[in-house]
Amino acid sequence: MQTKGLKLTDVLTTVVIAIVFGIVYKVWGPLYYAVKPLGLHIDQLIYGMWFIAATVAYLLIRKPGVALLAEVAAASGEFLVGSEWGLEVLLYGLLQGLFAELVFAAFRYKRFDVAVVSLAAIGSTVASLVLDFYKGYIDQLAWWNLTLLISARFVGAIVISGLFAYSLVKALEKTGVTQLLRPTSKEDYDSLDQ
Amino acid sequence: MRWSMEHKETWLHQTNPTAKLLLFLPMFVVIVFVHNPNVLMNWAVGFTVLFILFSGYRMKHIFLFLLPFLFIFVSTSSSMILFGKGETTWFRWGLIHITEESFYRGVHLGFRALLFAIFGLMFALTTKPVLLFYSLMQQVKLQPKYAYSFLAAIRLLPIMIEEFQTVHQALKVRRAAKASGFRGKLELVKRYAIPLLSQSIRRAQRIAVAMETKGFTNDRKRTFYYEVKLGKYDVYLFVVICMIVAVGYYMADVFPYVAVKDVR
Repeated sequence: MQTKGLKLTDVLTTVVIAIVFGIVYKVWGPLYYAVKPLGLHIDQLIYGMWFIAATVAYLLIRKPGVALLAEVAAASGEFLVGSEWGLEVLLYGLLQGLFAELVFAAFRYKRFDVAVVSLAAIGSTVASLVLDFYKGYIDQLAWWNLTLLISARFVGAIVISGLFAYSLVKALEKTGVTQLLRPTSKEDYDSLDQ
Repeated sequence: MRWSMEHKETWLHQTNPTAKLLLFLPMFVVIVFVHNPNVLMNWAVGFTVLFILFSGYRMKHIFLFLLPFLFIFVSTSSSMILFGKGETTWFRWGLIHITEESFYRGVHLGFRALLFAIFGLMFALTTKPVLLFYSLMQQVKLQPKYAYSFLAAIRLLPIMIEEFQTVHQALKVRRAAKASGFRGKLELVKRYAIPLLSQSIRRAQRIAVAMETKGFTNDRKRTFYYEVKLGKYDVYLFVVICMIVAVGYYMADVFPYVAVKDVR
């Protein structure tokens, strides 16, 4: 029936998970500007949470297009529940999802380890920095301040959307739900042969 | 999500959701390429007035909505004001270096954030999500599998919130609803996320299977429960936006508030 692209099951599951993260994204907003006035970009360490939908959805469903869809859906969810950043989150979501997707595509959607999701988190960080460059004139910050901003954001992204996302999915695997989601792998066939 | 709050249905509510989205999104790009703070100030005033007059919400609610945006204004502008580059020094103390250039740039960024926020709020408060996705299917041919997935997910939100409260209470009873330190906090997020995510995944699977057994297909030739069309109000909105943009631009040229024309 739906031969090309993602099946309804994949899309629905991705969107539902993403909306959960959309609410997290929304709650993250006040937290972000609560730590922001502390100065010196401590806020950037938690920025990485806004990339997590893409990596978690990809690790769970393991299909092309899922990361992009998840990040866009999470951004829409955040937007619809009334994000402080308004429409801008849709564009950020689109670009962050796209960059994460490109990382997964570069590995031909064959790797699902902590290194590849960390790379995807780095990809999303680059996307967010590109948009900030145009929107926030971040190149006009004093150089030490800009370096601090960029490195804090990268570190936060790797810790939250790379390492933490990976351990979250590992924990979800123990509940058994992931068996519902993933296409049958080679190991499954091998185990039948025995 | 707040459409249940008491409000009047104004013409902004009658506009086509897709048209509204396609009118608002390019504004994002336009605003990013404006470097004159006078223009942004005029636009911010213009669109705030439009929002207050025609969103149909009570003044006290509008002020409550706008409150977090003041934080955004301050937090967005502050790091640029305090740490930005510039020539004409106003104040210097340790790492803090306020210059005329960085000050105006910071204020400019604040107004930019404010404008994005007004657009977002105006859209969210005058659009029903259900109609948005119906409209996207009809006006820009979004594939039904995406639109209906979003619709189903929006329906699931109240259940998720209830589930969150259940988990929260269960953890509280077991004195596991608090944690200290960065690691502890992440562990805590996990404690909440695992049950919520696994239940959501199971539910999504069941819904997808149910939809397909009841004959859901991704065929774009289908009938719609809600027919969403374009109308005269979309033209009104287009004209109003053009007017605010043009007048704001003209006024900034003729009666500038600040002498700075380009903050870069």
